[in-house]
Amino acid sequence: MDFAGKTVLITGAGRGIGAAIAKGFATEGASVAVNYLQDATSASATVDACTVAGGTALAMQADVTDAGDAARLVAATQDAFGKIDVLVHNAFAPYVFSPEKRALFWETDWAAFQAQIDGSVKAAHGMARAVLPDMLARAEGCIINIATNLVERPVVPYHDYTTAKSALVGFSRNLAVELGPLGIRVNLVCPGLVYPTAASRAVKEDLKDALIAQTPLRRIATPADVAGPVLFLASPWAGFMTGQTLYVDGGFVMR
Amino acid sequence: MLERACHLPGLDPDALDWHRLSFARGDTGPDIAVPVLGPGDIDRLAAHVRDNAAARLRAMPVARIVEAIDAVIVRLLDRQDPYRRKMEQMLPAVTGYDPEMVRLGLTRYLMTFRKPELLRFLAEDFPNPAILDGFQPLPKGGYGKAFGPPLLAHIWAGNVPGLPLWSMVCGLLVKSGTIGKVSSAEPLFAGWFAQVLAEVAPDLAECLAVVWWQGGESAPEQAMLGAADLTLAYGSNTSLAAIAGRMPPGKRLLRFGHKVSFAMIAAVALDPAKVADTARRAARDIARYDQQGCFAPHVVFVERGGRLCPRSFARYLARALDAFGHRFPARALTMAETASFAAWCQQEEFTHDAEVMGDAHGGWTVSFHNAGQGFGPSCLNRSVKVVAVDDLANVPGLVAPFRALLQTVGIAASPDELFRLAGLLGDAGVTRIAALGDMTTPEAGWHHDGRCNLSDLVQITEIDARAPPAADKLAFYDD
Repeated sequence: MDFAGKTVLITGAGRGIGAAIAKGFATEGASVAVNYLQDATSASATVDACTVAGGTALAMQADVTDAGDAARLVAATQDAFGKIDVLVHNAFAPYVFSPEKRALFWETDWAAFQAQIDGSVKAAHGMARAVLPDMLARAEGCIINIATNLVERPVVPYHDYTTAKSALVGFSRNLAVELGPLGIRVNLVCPGLVYPTAASRAVKEDLKDALIAQTPLRRIATPADVAGPVLFLASPWAGFMTGQTLYVDGGFVMR
Repeated sequence: MLERACHLPGLDPDALDWHRLSFARGDTGPDIAVPVLGPGDIDRLAAHVRDNAAARLRAMPVARIVEAIDAVIVRLLDRQDPYRRKMEQMLPAVTGYDPEMVRLGLTRYLMTFRKPELLRFLAEDFPNPAILDGFQPLPKGGYGKAFGPPLLAHIWAGNVPGLPLWSMVCGLLVKSGTIGKVSSAEPLFAGWFAQVLAEVAPDLAECLAVVWWQGGESAPEQAMLGAADLTLAYGSNTSLAAIAGRMPPGKRLLRFGHKVSFAMIAAVALDPAKVADTARRAARDIARYDQQGCFAPHVVFVERGGRLCPRSFARYLARALDAFGHRFPARALTMAETASFAAWCQQEEFTHDAEVMGDAHGGWTVSFHNAGQGFGPSCLNRSVKVVAVDDLANVPGLVAPFRALLQTVGIAASPDELFRLAGLLGDAGVTRIAALGDMTTPEAGWHHDGRCNLSDLVQITEIDARAPPAADKLAFYDD
């Protein structure tokens, strides 16, 4: 798959899944804008890895939950690379996945839900609005939002996180209907538990083993596993797909 | 930051020369220095730990020693502890093993040295552990007390991180002064244990020295072997034979040489509901520490007649090894290891007519033998032979010629079969039977290579049953 000449903006790409997606696109020759919130060292390492892989990359700090910052990020990417062909929205509000320490529903106040909805849907809204003028002008473009397989099968009820990601699924489907006639595709990738990432480091072995036992491919995902389906959805091979959700979880969820 | 390995009570570290060890597996290897010690230094250390053991350790109740070891283990189980952090950071870099595998392996291993396990460990060899503290009545009459050697020496191998802990703990429990030589392949763990011991029980840490010298250097080794009353040595059969040849007359040596382990899977474990789990458990035994420990299986014997045939099992095993490799990647092989891996695969395929399955990067290999071409070591690093047999009862006969090398057998079979096979295998020289999946995690107090860990080290001093009545005649209260 050749992404030479294409520009990809990835939110939350300093480490973990976002960094793996960035490397995936860079390996196929893309120019990659590596957005990060705080960890400049990791973002710089991702940029280096992208360069080594054969792409071009720049690290760009921005808080994508802030619409103004999102617009600034998009403008800076366009300044650097001329356009944006693919937006991958992978960032989410800080969250630690720990079945033992998670908040029970009656301990979860609305502020926690709001923080996740801001990190997920508000950020997706701001980013989509910011990239849209250029994509509409060129009548092409591709938006991929990263959600989670928990929206389909919440094995651990992370109420605030999964509710926000479920909203992102609905948001993306509506957007796909709206933008399809204008040549812009919108799809979703829903990974299962991805290990290791900063957010999943607290997940214990027992849960991993329980998930593995119910996963036909008998392992949990690595960040690199998520990159392939994202690249596929961004490629011409998926040119007739929009509003779709790809589950990347070894067959744990099937639909 | 430079990490100084070893533990040298009584010596001034700044007065010594330090040798840098290089571990260039990754981009930036850790910076580790080991002390350059001459025979004079070894003599001084040996005298220091022997004297301190005599003055402090030998009078200490064994229960207090257990408490101190437990306190060290609790520290090392705490992921926030600075020594635990160093272990998680440096042991993967030194050994090349996957960091997650090391992290989980350390916890699983250290858990078997908590106080309840140490008490079981003692009870296994001493029905009344107070025999280590004072004379206790013996069932036959009279009294007995167990004495560990005043100075116990250890020569450790470095194939798996943390290995020295077993024998260090044994030495402390029998109240011996201990001097142990670490391997260049993993020089860190033993010294860290001693350093944490120095923080939680300074008295005990004066009775324990951890040293290093370049393998093959004879002068410091001679000094250690000469000073110690008993030496425990771990390593290849060649290096153990060489050490045995250099033992001073009249000194005891206990050898723990390389062993070969294998697995056996009965037909009952091969139905559609069980096969995936059976394969996953076998893969775990094969892949942990990349098969470098002596507990890891080289061969899996699979019985015909199950709902799935042995060839199908081999394919499930291959996929399970592949999945394990995604979660815990195999370490990068050296040039020599890559060459031996390739040669082994070729030999399997062309000489033994095996069906060889492997991944493109040499991360694992399964070699399937349909005609039962027998038993032998694999080339390690997650390579395994799967051998189809008509009846598992034939396996003990196949392995019996390797009697001296046999150690652990992982079995997936029904209870009656488990005990029937265990009897045949024990007769063939096997010393440990485990459930498939538990091969690499022995229980506390298991009889290492069929021996008694603690009672092998001690001398029992007996007071003859007739001695106390005779002494009564000399008592001030004698009428």
